[in-house]
Amino acid sequence: MPDMIREIVVVGGGTAGWLTAGAIAARHQGRMKSGFKVTLIESPDIKIIGVGEGTWPTLRTTLEKMGVSETDLFRHCDAAFKQGARFARWTTGEEDDGYYHPLMLPQGFHQVNMAPHWLAKDGGRSFCDYVTPQGALCDDGLAPKTITTPEYQAVANYAYHLDAGKFAPFLQKHCTEKLGVHHVLADVAKVNQADNGDITSLTLKQGGELKGDLFVDCTGFSCLLLGKTLGVPFKDCSDVLFCDTALALQIPYATPDDPMASHTISTAHSAGWTWDIGLPTRRGVGYVYSSRYTTEEAATEELLRYIGPQAKGLTPRKIPIRGGYRETCWKNNCVAVGLAAGFLEPLESSAIVLVELSAKLIAEQMPANREVMDIVARRFNEVSQYRWGRIIDFLKLHYVLTKRPEKFWRDNTDPATVPGRLQDLLKLWKHQPPWFLDEFDRLEEVFPAASYQYVLYGMGFRTEVDPNDNEPTEDLAQQQAGENAAMTRKLRAQLPRNRDLLRKIQEYGLQPI
Amino acid sequence: MRVETVASVRYGDAQRFVPVVVGEFSNLVAHYPIFFSKDAQTGSFYCGAMLGIDEGENLFLTEGRTFDAYRPMNLQRGPFYMAGGDIAIDLDHPRVGESGQALFEDDGRPSPYLNSVINLFRDLKPGLDQTKVFVETLLGMKLIEPVDISLAFDDGSKRQLEGLYTINRDRLKKLSDDKVVELFHRGYLQAIYLMIASLKQVPVLAQKKNSRLAG
Repeated sequence: MPDMIREIVVVGGGTAGWLTAGAIAARHQGRMKSGFKVTLIESPDIKIIGVGEGTWPTLRTTLEKMGVSETDLFRHCDAAFKQGARFARWTTGEEDDGYYHPLMLPQGFHQVNMAPHWLAKDGGRSFCDYVTPQGALCDDGLAPKTITTPEYQAVANYAYHLDAGKFAPFLQKHCTEKLGVHHVLADVAKVNQADNGDITSLTLKQGGELKGDLFVDCTGFSCLLLGKTLGVPFKDCSDVLFCDTALALQIPYATPDDPMASHTISTAHSAGWTWDIGLPTRRGVGYVYSSRYTTEEAATEELLRYIGPQAKGLTPRKIPIRGGYRETCWKNNCVAVGLAAGFLEPLESSAIVLVELSAKLIAEQMPANREVMDIVARRFNEVSQYRWGRIIDFLKLHYVLTKRPEKFWRDNTDPATVPGRLQDLLKLWKHQPPWFLDEFDRLEEVFPAASYQYVLYGMGFRTEVDPNDNEPTEDLAQQQAGENAAMTRKLRAQLPRNRDLLRKIQEYGLQPI
Repeated sequence: MRVETVASVRYGDAQRFVPVVVGEFSNLVAHYPIFFSKDAQTGSFYCGAMLGIDEGENLFLTEGRTFDAYRPMNLQRGPFYMAGGDIAIDLDHPRVGESGQALFEDDGRPSPYLNSVINLFRDLKPGLDQTKVFVETLLGMKLIEPVDISLAFDDGSKRQLEGLYTINRDRLKKLSDDKVVELFHRGYLQAIYLMIASLKQVPVLAQKKNSRLAG
C-alpha cells in the first residue's frame, strides 16, 4: 500500500539519532519481518557535538527497553552515577550557599505535603535533608546502589553521567548489531520533496538515493531538514535565559583516587554558571555564560580560577549556544529530535531526556499511514511546545530567586524576563506550597512538582504557613520525617563509596536480576 | 600439627547458608533447601544450602559430634582451601592445633585424614568451576528468579528471608526443545529438578526452628 509508513530514515548519528533509531527499532522489531525498516544516515565528516554528559533516570528505562546491558554502559562509556545536582552560590553567592536538587521524591510525597510542615518547624535542617536521604548520600560520596543490586534497579533513584563521545558509538554498535538498524555513512547532497512539501528522498553526495516515509531530523544545530528544507523558524528565548556561550574543558585527575562526586555540581559565577561532572576517567567542566555581561577573556579567567591549579596549560573549547526551540517540531513527514528541535542551557541536563521523550512518542505512536500522520504530528507538536515552555520556566526559576548583586543576576530577576506562567506560580506559591496536586498533572512531566519544591526551598523561598492548616496532617508528617531520618541512617551505613562500586562494576559487572 | 574434625560452633559450623556445588545436590536434597544467592563482595551468583533461619544458626548441628545429615563439602574441608593449584591450610583456623587428627603418619606419608581431604578437593575444586558454568548457563536462559520467603512461628515471631533466588518454573516450562535436550545432556536438568524438589525442605526447616523456639 503506497502510503503505509514503513521506512524510517533518521538523519544524524549523535546521541539523538541513535537513541531515536534504537527506540523505534526496539518497539517495532516484530514488523521488521514484513518490511518495516529503520535506517540511520550520518556524515562521515561532520562531527557530533560530543558534549552532553548529564542524564535523567528515564535513561535507565530507555536503555533497558532497547536491550542494552547496564554493565556494558559502564564499561564502554565511562559512566558514573548521578544522584541529582548541587547548586552552589546561586542564592547569596557566599561559600556556604548551596542546595541539592536530588532525584528521589520527598518521603511520603503522595500522602502528605512535607513542605508546609518543614516551613513551620525545620529543626535547622535543609528541606532536602528533611524529606530525602539523597543529599546526605551525595555529601558522603556514596553510590546509589550496591554490587548485588540488579542492573537498572536503584536503592536511591539515579541517572548517569557519561562520556558523550563514547555514548553514540556505543549505541550505534547496539542498534546495528542487535536491533537491525541499517547504517549509511554518507553526506546529504540534496533533499528531495513532493509537491505537498513531504520529503521523498535524500540524494547522497557519494551517489545513490535514500527513500523514506518518515524522516527524523537529528542533524543538530544545523537542522537540515526541518529548518533549512521545510523552513520552520527558530523561536529564540534569550530574553528569558541569557546565556549564549559555553567554554568547555576536560580535566584529568591527579590520582585515580581523587574525589568523584555522584552528582552534578553547578556553581554560579558573575555572568553565568559552571557545570562540573566527574567521570571515572576525568572531569568535565564548562562555564555557561552570557556574552552581554562579560567578555570571553574574563569568562575564561573565571573558569580557570574555579578549576584551580589542575587547569594549567588547558585551553577551553568555545561552543556558541543559541537558546530556543522550533515551535513546530513535526512538519509534513519530518520530525526533529535533539539539538535540531531546540536547545536550552544544560542547567538541569534536559537535552537527553527530551530526546528520550520524543523518541518514545514517535516509537509508541508511529503513524500507520500518511493520512493519520498529521494527527500524531499535531499531538507531538502540542506536547513538545508544552515541554519546552515548562523547561524554560523551571530553569528561569533557578535565576529569578537569586539575591546575588552582579548585573547579570539583577537583570535576571526583572519581571520583563520572567514568563507569565512562572510569575503566576510564584505569586501562588507565596501563599500555598507546590505539591503533586498542583498544575503539573501530565502523565509525563519533565519536572514534577517535587523538583519545584527542591529549588524553591533550596533557594530560601518562603511560603506562608498556617499552623492550624498543618494540624490534621501533623502526625503523618512527623512519621514520614522519622522514616526519612531512619532510612538516611540505614543507607549511609550500607551503601558503598562511589568510586569503589564503579571499580567493582568494571571488574565483576552487575547481574541482570 | 593436628586438625579437629568434630562439628562445633567454635569451629565455624554455625552457618545458616553454605556454598555448595552441583555434584552434591543429590546428597543435599533430602535435608536442605538449595537456593542461589549473591556474593556480597562481587554480586556473583553461587548455589547454597540453607542450614538455618537466623544468622549464625545451624539447625543440623549436634554440638561436639557431627551433623544430623550430610555435611556440605565446604564445611567438610575445615581449615583447608585451594591456593592456585595447591591445597593450603589456614594456620589461624580454630580447628588447627595440638589435638585432633594427624596429617601425616610417622613415616611421612599422608594420614587417612589428609587423604580424605585430598579426595575432597578432587571433587570440590572442579565442582566449584562446574557450578559456576551451571549458574551462568541458567542465567543466560533466564531460568533464575528472585524469591521472598515469609515465615511465621508459633511463638508469634516472623522472619523475612531475602536475597534468595530459585528456578523460574514458568520459563522452564516454555523452553524450546533444543534447550531442554542441551540441559539434559549437561546434567543440568537433574540439578534443576533437585533444586525445585529441595524447596519442600523449607517448611521442614521452619518446623525445626519452631521446635527450638518453643524450647
